[in-house]
Amino acid sequence: MNTITLTIDGEKVEVKKGATVLEAAKEAEIYIPTLCYHPGLPPFGACRLCIVEIEKMRGFPSSCTTPAANDMVVHTNTPRIQELRHGILELILSEHPYFCAICERRERCESFSPGIQKTGVVAGCHTCPGNGKCELEEVIEHVGLKEMSLTYYPRELPILKDSPFIDRDYNLCILCGRCVRVCHESIGVSALAFTYRGPKALVGTAFGCSLQDSGCQFCGACVDACPTGSLIERAARWEGVPGQLILTTCPYCGIGCQLNLEVKDGNVATSVPSEDGVNHGLACVKGRFAIRESTYHPSRLKSPLIKRDGRLETATWDEAVNLIASKLPNYQGEQFALICSSPCTNEDYYIAQKFARVVMNSNNIDHQSSRLSHSPSVIGLSQSFGSPGMTNSINEIGNAACILLIGSNVSCDNPIIRAEIMRAVDKGAKLIAVNPLRIDLCRFAHSWLQLLPGSDVALLMGMMRVIVDENLADWPFIEERCENFDAFKESLKEFTPDFVEKVTGLAWQQVVETARTYAKQKPAVILYGTGITQHTHGTNNVLALCDLAMLTGNLGKPSSGVYPLEGENNAHGACDMGAIADLYPDYQPVYIEASKAKFERAWACALNSNSGLTFSEIFNAVAEHQIKALYLIGNPIFNQPLPDKLRHWLEELEILIVQDSFPSEISQLAHVVLPAASFAEKDGTFTSAERKVQRVRKASKTIGNSRPDWQIICQVAEKMGAKGFHFDHPSQIMEEIATVMPDYSGITYERLEGSGLQWPCPGNDHRGTPILYSDKFANGKGRFTALKYKPSAELPDENYPLILTTECSLYHLYTKVLTSKVRGLEVLSPKETVEMNPLDAAKLGINDGDVVKVISRRGELTSRAKVTEVVASGVVSMNLHLAESLINSAVDSTSKIPEFKVCAVKIEKT
Amino acid sequence: MTFEEIQSRATAEWEDLCGKTCILVGAATCGRSAGALAVLDAINEELTKRNIDAMVTQVGCIGLCYIEPIIDIAKPGQPHVFYASVTPELVPQIIEDYLIKGDPRPDLALGTVGNEGVKGIPKLFDLAMLRPQVRIVLRNCGFIDPININHYIANGGYGGLVKALKMTPEDVIEEVRKSGLRGRGGAGFPTGVKWGFCRKAPGKEKYLVCNADEGDPGAFMDRSVLEGDPHAVLEGMLIGAYAIGATKGYIYCRAEYPLALERLYTALGQMREYELLGDNILGADFSFEIEIKEGAGAFVCGEETALMASIEGRRGMPRSRPPFPAQSGIWAKPTNINNVETWADVSVILQRGAGWFASYGTEKSKGTKTISLAGKVKHTGLIEVSLGTPLHQVIYDIGGGIAGDKCLKAVQTGGPSGGFIPPELLQTPVDYESLTQLGSIMGSGGMVVADEDNCIVDIARFFLTFTQQESCGKCAPCRVGTRQMLDILERISRGEGEEGDVDKLQRLAETVRDGSLCALGGTAPNPVLTSIRYFRNEYEAHIKGKKCPAAVCKGLVKAPCSHICPAGVDLPRFLRFIRRGKFDEALAVLKEKLPFAETLGYVCPAFCEGKCRRGMLDEVVATRVLHRLVAERGNGLWKTRVKIAPVTGKRVAIIGSGPAGLTAAYYLTKQGHTVTVLEALPEPGGMMRYGIPEYRLPREVLAGEIEEIKSFGVDIRTNAKVSSLDDLFAQGYDAIFLAIGAHQGVKLGIRGEDSAGVMEGVSWLKEINMGDKVRVGGKVAVIGGGNTAIDVSRTALRLGAKEAMVIYRRTKAEMPAGIEEIEEAIHEGVKIEFLTAPAKVERKNAKLELTCIRMELGTVDASGRRRPVPIEGSEFSSSFDTVIVAIGQMPEAPEQFGLALKRGNRFQADPYTLATDRKGVFAGGDAVTGAATIVEAIAAGRQAAISIDKYLGGDGVVDEILSAPDEEVALSEIDEEKHRLTVPTLPLDERLHSFAEVELEISEEAAIGEARRCLLCDLEESI
Repeated sequence: MNTITLTIDGEKVEVKKGATVLEAAKEAEIYIPTLCYHPGLPPFGACRLCIVEIEKMRGFPSSCTTPAANDMVVHTNTPRIQELRHGILELILSEHPYFCAICERRERCESFSPGIQKTGVVAGCHTCPGNGKCELEEVIEHVGLKEMSLTYYPRELPILKDSPFIDRDYNLCILCGRCVRVCHESIGVSALAFTYRGPKALVGTAFGCSLQDSGCQFCGACVDACPTGSLIERAARWEGVPGQLILTTCPYCGIGCQLNLEVKDGNVATSVPSEDGVNHGLACVKGRFAIRESTYHPSRLKSPLIKRDGRLETATWDEAVNLIASKLPNYQGEQFALICSSPCTNEDYYIAQKFARVVMNSNNIDHQSSRLSHSPSVIGLSQSFGSPGMTNSINEIGNAACILLIGSNVSCDNPIIRAEIMRAVDKGAKLIAVNPLRIDLCRFAHSWLQLLPGSDVALLMGMMRVIVDENLADWPFIEERCENFDAFKESLKEFTPDFVEKVTGLAWQQVVETARTYAKQKPAVILYGTGITQHTHGTNNVLALCDLAMLTGNLGKPSSGVYPLEGENNAHGACDMGAIADLYPDYQPVYIEASKAKFERAWACALNSNSGLTFSEIFNAVAEHQIKALYLIGNPIFNQPLPDKLRHWLEELEILIVQDSFPSEISQLAHVVLPAASFAEKDGTFTSAERKVQRVRKASKTIGNSRPDWQIICQVAEKMGAKGFHFDHPSQIMEEIATVMPDYSGITYERLEGSGLQWPCPGNDHRGTPILYSDKFANGKGRFTALKYKPSAELPDENYPLILTTECSLYHLYTKVLTSKVRGLEVLSPKETVEMNPLDAAKLGINDGDVVKVISRRGELTSRAKVTEVVASGVVSMNLHLAESLINSAVDSTSKIPEFKVCAVKIEKT
Repeated sequence: MTFEEIQSRATAEWEDLCGKTCILVGAATCGRSAGALAVLDAINEELTKRNIDAMVTQVGCIGLCYIEPIIDIAKPGQPHVFYASVTPELVPQIIEDYLIKGDPRPDLALGTVGNEGVKGIPKLFDLAMLRPQVRIVLRNCGFIDPININHYIANGGYGGLVKALKMTPEDVIEEVRKSGLRGRGGAGFPTGVKWGFCRKAPGKEKYLVCNADEGDPGAFMDRSVLEGDPHAVLEGMLIGAYAIGATKGYIYCRAEYPLALERLYTALGQMREYELLGDNILGADFSFEIEIKEGAGAFVCGEETALMASIEGRRGMPRSRPPFPAQSGIWAKPTNINNVETWADVSVILQRGAGWFASYGTEKSKGTKTISLAGKVKHTGLIEVSLGTPLHQVIYDIGGGIAGDKCLKAVQTGGPSGGFIPPELLQTPVDYESLTQLGSIMGSGGMVVADEDNCIVDIARFFLTFTQQESCGKCAPCRVGTRQMLDILERISRGEGEEGDVDKLQRLAETVRDGSLCALGGTAPNPVLTSIRYFRNEYEAHIKGKKCPAAVCKGLVKAPCSHICPAGVDLPRFLRFIRRGKFDEALAVLKEKLPFAETLGYVCPAFCEGKCRRGMLDEVVATRVLHRLVAERGNGLWKTRVKIAPVTGKRVAIIGSGPAGLTAAYYLTKQGHTVTVLEALPEPGGMMRYGIPEYRLPREVLAGEIEEIKSFGVDIRTNAKVSSLDDLFAQGYDAIFLAIGAHQGVKLGIRGEDSAGVMEGVSWLKEINMGDKVRVGGKVAVIGGGNTAIDVSRTALRLGAKEAMVIYRRTKAEMPAGIEEIEEAIHEGVKIEFLTAPAKVERKNAKLELTCIRMELGTVDASGRRRPVPIEGSEFSSSFDTVIVAIGQMPEAPEQFGLALKRGNRFQADPYTLATDRKGVFAGGDAVTGAATIVEAIAAGRQAAISIDKYLGGDGVVDEILSAPDEEVALSEIDEEKHRLTVPTLPLDERLHSFAEVELEISEEAAIGEARRCLLCDLEESI
């Protein structure tokens, strides 16, 4: 029996086993007032408003905490309950400025209420930013409270505005604890807590410090959980009730969070995470707080610009498009290149690559973020499993028994993944953190392996050696579903305990124990980030992880598999759409005749069969004047002062077209600048890291004369006389995509309403594929790869004795295009520091906070030293966007990814 | 080492002790705070000095906290001799006398323990405090060395575990279930059943918790057990762990118990050494570990779900149950929580069997309960009684009754969340159900006794201050509700209470009780709810009367003396004038509140002296005598300052010219009304004239003050009996004040009462005071214990009686007559038979044969005094010439007045406004209250004047300052101990033949000196 039948207010109600009385009442549409209840949180039972009477039970149990039981007879509204609820509500209100809430002239006041929202103190609903959204108002209405007999205890606390984004007015707090609980239980950060006891009890931070100092990640979950106006987003403080909610997909990282954009008068007031998406009502600081400010930033490009006499001048669209259309035909073929950057929609990428290939007859099309973060994944995963996608879905992580988190600081890179991990850890999953840095999640980890940067293959092969030796492998799985095992097994021999210890800097015993934990705790997931990929052996790292998953049979099952964690938005879509040099849409290689033929048919043209140039190759070609026309969509360059060399190269281009939302140093060099609409102003789709195609919906009116990327390119193409670029709406582009991409063939805008679809979705009746390889691998069998350890390209030596590794910031994405426009994020992002171990610091006589010079063979910069045990001795770490001038440009031979994670540096005290 | 070997080694060590001189010093926290460690040092020093070989050991608390430090000396082969209240100075004497000279000093010794006694020293367990106790939990406390595990083992320790390990876990649980043991933490859930739930809960990992977070103010049971016998608790936990299948135990002990923690850490170390912890304990398939968690001082962490959260490292906040800890406790694993005392019971239950344990206690509450007995009892301390022992026995037999022979007001059980129990319910047995039924709780066993000097509102406020501060803040009813309640209580105690506050308080309390999440909030309103239930009148006194009857509440009470004075005389100001020799000004202070200042100087019962704080230092200030002095010395300065309002034209009739009537007349006249006093008797003065013998109140004093009143224009008509109120209204009176007093004697209700020669006291006195010649026999019996009885007996002697005997049914402590009166009577030769009540009177041969019966004190009645109960078969007879009954008076309220009457023939009037149910008619004084004191009647008269003035359209303000401005004097001489002045009295031989006043004058110097003893409490706030 999985259901329970009980009687509530005389009505028979059937609910699922495990449901609470409150949930049962909801099912029966019987309203019980609540304030501390929150559907995403375990019951708390604090506000006491949901009390009921249950026959044969003593007292007045809270319905939110009481499990429903068979034959239970519940009364939700007896006279005593009403009286008690009335009394309790009065008590709650005696600490809350309630005057407007029970005022009988309220309605009249509402229509005549002047603009008093700028008052410093909230005196009642009419001066409260929560007005209209406040749950307390609802409850008062329901309970029918008309007057108060109790003394009012104003707390008279100052409104706390000491942190970006969030204002805290604890005068309005009713201590429902939703903020504390969401911070602790959903986010696992515990920046907020209950403080003091008795009448002084309140919520707040430890020792009353600011939110920054409390460890707050500014995900805004507390603001969203707050039933009153106590926690309020500063920017949207006085926006009131939104006119419209538009569901869309977050433009920041690749997780694909679903956000509701609150729209008022055609403008986005704020973005609030949706309960329904992969994010389950959570977001990160960027998705929650950055969208409004970046969308409406005053520096947005509002009109096309054309360079005349060395100066960019405002032009009409016709002028700009005509200019481009007149110039570009001269550079068709290898002289042309196009680079796209996040965030573009799938439709934008598709049109961009189609433009390059069809109109410009060039495969020199690449995408910055996928090339620089996950190109090894595309290759590695395809090589092992036959397809490049994340094998399973994100929400499965929470149910895994073991999580191998390697080369990723999800707390910064993908905060939603962190919440998933915490969900699993709370249930008892073993978290193994492998990272040269002591990342935030180490606190919750079963074990933390602080390996030397770049030694992942050695560690993984060592682990696999243990698994094979100790007979912990999933032999039937290997036997039935995989190939090339023997060669792989042979390659393990090289990884002796001594060798592994030497390379990784770890004790062999730790490797052994980690191997055992991963192999025994099933199902196990592997989550990895750029710490794996951004190496000259990045592809090998990915292959090793694939081997590990196959070896233990952790594939094709729920809560298992391999998860590449994408840092940037829609990098997956860029690859899927073929916005990469050597692949047509759907990963069909340009150098294979059959695929070329297919696309020549589809696009009714002749295509170039040469593999195109990748991201860094394009710049090399620019330098060598092979490429004379460059079309940049978005800003692919780190948001740092442009290196003189690069500036020079770009200046020498015969035509540089920059299509972006914001002006930049590069746009200053452009011959034509085209203002692109932001994601909030257009329709389209994003494909998330879990292969999920989700809608982007127009919410805001367009800024100035900007236009969606696809539309601009189509205009140029049509102007150049091309066919196949006439679309009225991106949904029509998706219709074309479905015809050329088997994995997308079942995807239409109509079918994407709801929760989106995970490819492969080969057909209109296909429901998408949350878990890959349930029956077989894409190419039939999974392929083991025999691997050798390959050291990083540049290792420390006498002159450059330290390894520099790089990390990402929670508050910025790689190029900071969108994030640098948001003041609050700038405030929050860590100061430019270089983290170094106390031992190294002592050797160099450096104290915490000293200004130091970090020098590599390629450049140098000054920074402040942060002396911390987060890094091991011999390793220093900086944020990637700061360290760009230092890092090694050596690339992985297959994926062409640069080695961002390891280079040799020395540090000097200035 | 096997356990048998450990046992035999321990037994040998224990027996070794018997061959040695041992000195045990009670050095638990209570002993230490009384100075036990200094005594210990003195003992060691003395032994070294005298080179005596003796073993000195610190032991736990034996429970007699009120006479700590206690030491116990056992010489080889001799019984233990206990000495109480030992000081370091006393140590050399005891050692010299007992250890060297062999004299156990019965004069210093408290009691002995051992089969043999010592002559002249009672057995310790025959002491009143110990005899009714049953020591199961406390079996070892005070007798073994708590840091020596061998002592515990030698006394049967770990025998319960050995036995348990031979049984199946299910059988162990069954044994505990059969014993009827219930959770001693307060809720009283059957322990065996609880264990069973946890045993049956699925899961391998289970936890066990000992709740030692004893946070109740005034509770120290758990601390004493942990300090005195830690292994008893730990063995209980081992047995529980075995029965439940737990592998890990926590002791959650508050960090404020450093000694208890030290003992626990030591004990755990010893257990590890004996392999009583760890894997395969005693060779059985049973492994267990215990960890101590120190609580950080949050009261709420005693609540089990909060406690578990705290152990897990989270904020100690309770959560709703279900799930119960047995299903999901620490780290979501099945968990069993019991408190210290419950665990301490377990081993003995196993050793001696469930049946033995269940033979103590009641049907539903088996075994014993430790109680920390505190407050106003004589013997405070830690006790252990069989459940079901009546509260009365706990307080009067074990506790020795109320300290200072005051009246019991209430007993508060169960800590700050418990309720008050009024005196009339003291026969209630101490068990879970009975206490709950009264609105209180067993709690963990705190018991605080309050006497007449405690204000109920104040205690309720005190407890609520605690609970509201300790609320975790999670739920609004508890967090805000307690604060709102406290707010009201504070207002009431400041004198700012408003009509309706009590109902509001009650409503709030019910919301908090029913709406709160956990038991802290659920029980926090108990003190308020029970105090409203049983002491509503005390709240009303604060709110309506602006009076704190116990003179405690700070905001209301500036100086307790003037607060308690019914007339509200500003005594500190009065005394300040005397200090400076300004007697006329001092008299003016008196005259502000009472027209009979000098009369009261002779006869006031001086309630003020009862509350005088100087009494805490040495003796109370003698204010009454000073009244008399200033009245004599004063020159009527006050009269020149009296303001009289213009005539209002309103007429008031006052029936009765006693203190109430004349006082009302005085003030109403001052307010401008025309007042006529109608007196049925030939002379005005009421009881002052006809009730009080002349030797106490000279006639001319009274007459003088009545003349003063008349001089303001009061018209007094004597021999004017009123029979109809309607007539008075018809005569044009606008208002009537009934102050007819209580002149009718109350009958005894025994056989032969109507015999000739049996007289009624107040009428008898009246006859004498009217000047009638009254004869009295040679041997007079006076029945009663009030002032009338004493007046009658002393008058009888003056009229020539050879013998006067007062027969009173209670003891001297309960006697309502003034203590000075009693002493003087005895001094004059009056004999008083206490604890005696008349049974019948027979007329035999011209004599009256009075049969009496002896009484003993039984349970307490509603007045807070113990009720006298006849001792069967103790009748005895004596013959008297005259028997005078003086057990009380009631008013002769004429029925034709047509007013509502209450018990005792008294008029019914609002206690605060004195309004009767008839418009324009007010009543006060003895006619309303029954026989009371003159000063109370004066207060009533004054109140009547206020109410009548308001009724007639005035503002009711009768207050005026008649003295010169008060100069706050520098404080002096308040620290120095100085005894109360003694009033010279008339020599005995001059008294008995006349009615001359007994008390003689005091000198002015003596008066000034006495006034300087005043502590000036009213200036406390301004200093």
